[in-house]
Amino acid sequence: MAWITQKSSAPNDLGRRAVPYLAPATKDRFERDFIPRYPTRRGALIQVLHAIQDEVGWLPMQAMEEVAQFIGITPSQVVDTATFYEEFFFKPRGKYTLWVCQSVSCEIMGSTALQGKISEKLGIHHGETTPDGKFTLMHVECIGACGGAPCALCNHKLHENLSSDNVDAILDSLP
Amino acid sequence: MALDTPILMKRIPQGNVANRQTVWYDGYVATGGYAALDKAIAMEPSKIIDEMKASELRGRGGAGFPAGMKWSFLPPPDGGHRFLAVNADESEPATFKDQLLINTDPHMMIEGIAICMKACHLDTAYVYIRGEYHHHRVTLEKAVQEAWDNGIFGEKSRMGQINGRTPRLFVQRGAGAYICGEETALLESLEGKRGWPRNKPPFPAVSGAFARPTVINNVETLATVPAIIENGAAWFKTHGVARPEGVPPQVPASYGTKLYGISGPVNNPGVFEDHLGIKLSALIGQHGKGMRAGKQFKAAFHGGISMGVLGTDQYDAVLDFDIGKRCGVLGLGTACVTVIPQDVSMVAMARNCARFYSHESCGQCTPCREGSNWAYKLLSRIEAGEGTTADLDLLSELAGSMGSMPGSTICGLADGTSWAIRTILQKFWNEFEDKVAKPRFVGLALR
Ligand SMILES: Cc1cc2nc3c(=O)[nH]c(=O)nc-3n(C[C@H](O)[C@H](O)[C@H](O)COP(=O)(O)O)c2cc1C
Ligand code: SF4
Repeated sequence: MAWITQKSSAPNDLGRRAVPYLAPATKDRFERDFIPRYPTRRGALIQVLHAIQDEVGWLPMQAMEEVAQFIGITPSQVVDTATFYEEFFFKPRGKYTLWVCQSVSCEIMGSTALQGKISEKLGIHHGETTPDGKFTLMHVECIGACGGAPCALCNHKLHENLSSDNVDAILDSLP
Repeated sequence: MALDTPILMKRIPQGNVANRQTVWYDGYVATGGYAALDKAIAMEPSKIIDEMKASELRGRGGAGFPAGMKWSFLPPPDGGHRFLAVNADESEPATFKDQLLINTDPHMMIEGIAICMKACHLDTAYVYIRGEYHHHRVTLEKAVQEAWDNGIFGEKSRMGQINGRTPRLFVQRGAGAYICGEETALLESLEGKRGWPRNKPPFPAVSGAFARPTVINNVETLATVPAIIENGAAWFKTHGVARPEGVPPQVPASYGTKLYGISGPVNNPGVFEDHLGIKLSALIGQHGKGMRAGKQFKAAFHGGISMGVLGTDQYDAVLDFDIGKRCGVLGLGTACVTVIPQDVSMVAMARNCARFYSHESCGQCTPCREGSNWAYKLLSRIEAGEGTTADLDLLSELAGSMGSMPGSTICGLADGTSWAIRTILQKFWNEFEDKVAKPRFVGLALR
């Protein structure tokens, strides 16, 4: 995140689709659920982006343009905000995103070996996706589950007390 | 002095984590919940603030600023919005205390939120929860919905109108950025922008979220409020460390209990509540049930990495708000302890910290953006055995010259970088020297 953004805008597929990402019903839902919470429409931006990414899996340019129009700001303002945050993806990612923690408590408890094991098993490094589109691997900083270090998130599910031994079974059990 | 009756973990079983279940609204009310809110509703708002001031409750988010004082800084209502932003970003490495409250007893924090809104005339509150807390967010959203349904917030709020408006509480989902825990970055993010900390002044109390007066408090700070309102400041001050002899009353002390986290190679890692002022050795021994077999204590990050490190000879350090002066660290921080055993290299730890800050720097200030990455590169080189003594000198100079305290950066992230790296260097200089000690010939040049 932050200033070390991988300039993912360059290779971005600006392909468009005829069906809008923000269907009228979706807009109504955002208008009802998010917009009234804030004194400005832009306040709702991050919640709207989350809602779209939860559905689509990532944030296509077309979707961000539609969001800009919906909120009433420019597309570049949407991109400016979205690219700051590590959780937003600007190209398609795997069915499962693994967020493997590497901060101090996890490093002490063996996250380096764990990361090595996962990379070896899946054949991918930080930021990459397996060719079959099943896994995307992210090495991340503290995810706030230090009592169960080393830990990782698989999509929204937290796994604690991981080791090179039990991570196999967890990855293999995913459909 | 052991803690007989927990305050924050009143409804949360200590020990085996598997037994913990969320206390929902009915369970919370059945065990005395929302009685403090009813008491607060009957009080003059200014009297609530007076009670908070008298309790000397200090912020649990890291900086330790007295909460009652913060609440009293807001200008009088002028008809416009006034906000409360609850800091549930909890991204400091090794910190995992707020998630326990959110996950198991969310209504305690929600009650604290309601009392704060009443006391400070705040009409709208947002809980800014970090993006990575997924199941916690689901729990929190359900608890917030319960609070709306049971007349804490909304049209039928038992608080009536606040600041001429319906009191409202919302959950704001973050999106993965440590810096959004910094209070003004949090506000920017709340406004739908990048999490770039703001120059201060103006302070949030005057011009915060959406340029309106805003209170920002940590989850644990607010969760402590109901007990203070219900039992009084004097009762609260029977917990923690008494004010030392001769210290003037305007100097804040370390009253109350605190959630402590323990992670690393101990037998019983987790979150525990105890008095402020517990010794590190007691925390590790009694709550953490000692070091794991074959592991020996070498050092500890006692409050997240940004506060710096405690050395091997500081095993008995007293964990209260005055720890900074006594132990050569920045402060108490989050009181979540990472235990570092003898077999882990402090060079590796320093490198891990530098990587963290270089990754999380928001990039606005040159010393922070460039300095953290530079330190990371130097430390990577040193750890790989390629470093020189000149690298060490450079690293010391670099780490000593960044931060908002020397006045070279906008926010405190750079101070964290500085303290983490500087204290590791100071307290474990030998390990660094050992790594660079061997002069080697590379080509013809002596490095
Ligand atoms: C870089 C940085 C990160 C911070 N992260 C957090 C955080 O994750 N959670 C938190 O409560 N406070 C965090 N703080 C402290 C907040 O700025 C603020 O002091 C605190 O939320 C105020 O609440 P309190 O007075 O109740 O402690 C951070 C500060 C800095 C400088
Ligand atoms: S000190 Fe670092 S994180 Fe803080 S505003 Fe400056 S660049 Fe951003």
